[in-house]
Amino acid sequence: MNRAFGIAGFLLTCAVGPVIAQRGGPVNPFQGQLEAVHEGESLYAQHCTGCHGPNGSAGEIGPAIVSAERAAFGGNDAQVFNTIKNGIAGTPMGPQKLAEEEIWKITAYIHAMRGTAIDNPLPGDSAHGEQIFWGKGQCGTCHMLGGKGGLTAPDLSNIAGIRKASTIVDALTKEQHHEYGSGGAHLRSLPPMDSYLPVHVTSADGKVIDGILLNEDGYALQMIGNDQRLHSFDRAKLRRVDIEAKSLMPTDYDKRLTSDEFRDLLAFLTRQGLKPPAPGRGGAPRGEDQ
Amino acid sequence: MNSASFRITIGFLLCGGMISGLAQKADAGDWPGYSGSDNGQRYSALKQVTAANAARLQAKWVYHVDGASGMEQTPVVVNGVMYISQFNRMDAIDARTGNIIWKYQRPPASASAQRGTAFYNDKVFMVTSDSHLVALDARNGGIRWDAKSEGSYAISGAAPTIVRNKVIVSGNRPDGFVQAFDAETGKYAWTWSAVPKPGEPGAESWGTARPQGGPMWMSGSYDPELNLLYYGTGQPNPQWTGFERPGDNLYTESIVALNPDTGKLVWYFQNTPHDTHDWDSTETLVLVDGVFKGRARKLLLQANRNGFYYVLDRSNGEYLLGTPFVSKVDWADGLDSKGRPIVIPGHDPSVRGTRTCPSTAGATNWPAPTYSPDTKYFYVTVAEGCGLNFISSSTAPDAGTGYIETADAPWQAYVRALDATTGKKVWEYKPVRSNHYGPGLLSTAGGIVFTPEQFGQVTVLDAKSGKPLWHFNTGDLITASPMTYSVNGQQFFAIASGTNIFAFGLQGVNP
Repeated sequence: MNRAFGIAGFLLTCAVGPVIAQRGGPVNPFQGQLEAVHEGESLYAQHCTGCHGPNGSAGEIGPAIVSAERAAFGGNDAQVFNTIKNGIAGTPMGPQKLAEEEIWKITAYIHAMRGTAIDNPLPGDSAHGEQIFWGKGQCGTCHMLGGKGGLTAPDLSNIAGIRKASTIVDALTKEQHHEYGSGGAHLRSLPPMDSYLPVHVTSADGKVIDGILLNEDGYALQMIGNDQRLHSFDRAKLRRVDIEAKSLMPTDYDKRLTSDEFRDLLAFLTRQGLKPPAPGRGGAPRGEDQ
Repeated sequence: MNSASFRITIGFLLCGGMISGLAQKADAGDWPGYSGSDNGQRYSALKQVTAANAARLQAKWVYHVDGASGMEQTPVVVNGVMYISQFNRMDAIDARTGNIIWKYQRPPASASAQRGTAFYNDKVFMVTSDSHLVALDARNGGIRWDAKSEGSYAISGAAPTIVRNKVIVSGNRPDGFVQAFDAETGKYAWTWSAVPKPGEPGAESWGTARPQGGPMWMSGSYDPELNLLYYGTGQPNPQWTGFERPGDNLYTESIVALNPDTGKLVWYFQNTPHDTHDWDSTETLVLVDGVFKGRARKLLLQANRNGFYYVLDRSNGEYLLGTPFVSKVDWADGLDSKGRPIVIPGHDPSVRGTRTCPSTAGATNWPAPTYSPDTKYFYVTVAEGCGLNFISSSTAPDAGTGYIETADAPWQAYVRALDATTGKKVWEYKPVRSNHYGPGLLSTAGGIVFTPEQFGQVTVLDAKSGKPLWHFNTGDLITASPMTYSVNGQQFFAIASGTNIFAFGLQGVNP
């Protein structure tokens, strides 16, 4: 099917339809009810994936409605409900012939998909988890958090604000936890590399620099060296570049830690982040110059 | 090479004052339509920029298309003016400097992907998001005529195709179709439907199901000697489940030859009968006059999304050759003597996910290939890798679904040069990091392949060896196909990158 359908690709959540009388609108009666979320998932799979792709990641006709990172997908539950019920005129998003209860359940599922760990942190002793983070877990050797730690892995200060709890668990326990994109989902801007692969660069004079790859193309390469410095190379001037296939991130934390330690580390990590602005009030503050 | 249909000729003969407002036709150094010529080769005889001097290329200007998003269009240049089209919008700029000349905007503004315009006799053709075809006066953007598509057909974002005095558009809804209008008046001429009505030839290939699908969202190619218009068609519907539409599902997933005077089907060749992977056969059809197994023939070349490279006789649709152009093709054990895939069962999408190589994103996709009559190579951007195809229900015929990259075979793009008549790989270039089907390609008589990369680099490769000669980082994603043109003695290359059009030319040449 044509992935570049000849119709304006409005974000589903951009539309504020006539049902919404005021900012906010009605409250989802199923909000946060696990069973309703599961029913919503099943309804979503039947009615929505054809256009919007599995898990809201964008399909060939409809845009992404959920982002792995909390991107600019505004729209509160009432707006999502309205969009599903009434559609968006002039686009392939038509009114869905579903009972209102079903629409609310789909909305609850979309809400759940959009949430990140900070919305629903995992149980445990977060203070103990912090000790594990800096101590036995050795996370701080590579990761920075709150201005402390290493530079060769992503800063985790806002990890719960951008990742779901399940993704954080996967990162600690599964080798293949990289999130692969849907073929229908197209990138909208240039992303930095997120693989943090070990790299070994050999300069023309034979000097070897080891570190973590930040970005590369056919002509240049940027890395954080084990010397904690940022290096940028012209590939043509290098003797060789060796990139390891596997990240240094251990994926056996559920085994190298006790179950209590692991639980508490997750409790700590799923609380590290910023809460998103309240629905309907999002957006950056306007400066004097706008 | 199909020289008769090739409009660009060697030389830099344009004089000053080319935007004087006289009635003008496409001329030397122009790029009047999506592929630059009728034959889909995306090859230019311009040769100011060569493999020897490509290192002296530099950016000449950048034009920002405000409100756009991930542009997929190829600009068109005629007589020194570049026409940049989006749905509902056309920008005309000075192709030497990037200065705006006129702009047409019809509400609503749209950032949807649209692939370009076409020039014919002082007119450029714009498609609207509500399925109108509008002829704008190339001199000032005035509306010459405005036609609504005939019937319930909705025109897609494919660049219109000009055949003689007709402007041809195509689309996906309600089913794939091609529609022709008089280029001077906008008068409707004919429609060809990619799927038959009940009782028509081909309907028997759908069991008892109503034929549906066959979306047509790419421009056609045209052979003026044979007077045949060639298009590719997309997938049958339902898209991912085939059990309720037993049979080949004609004329989906096919290459078709139409009579442009009548819109009647002359021949068809079906690449993927009974498709359940959405491998649209819409990839650009490249028309080449070549020697195949010792015999001069009118060839039609296509690198198909399903992983096979096809060579057909375009006078009658005879299958001549088909061979994989990616390393992993696991859904078919080659093609039989008629070009029909020898299908390996077990690859239909499933609730748990079925692994198939290539993925639905395809071994290649719509970004344009190019053919050089100098090297006789077919250059194409390919994606190695596999996909998982899901359906949400194994019993519902219209089950919702999706596809994802497989973790064990992540996608990687390559630019490959194939021997055009054997399909054998001659060289390959790896655009580092590119994981999706990337931008299209362009070859020239200067012995180069202009090679944009998904992650924003623009590279020039040596057409014979694949060696990189020059590169420039545009700073945004590229999902479009490039073009080249000449104004006042300077050859330019242009490419849409993100929301900008970049133009490149040699240092020290100033038109």
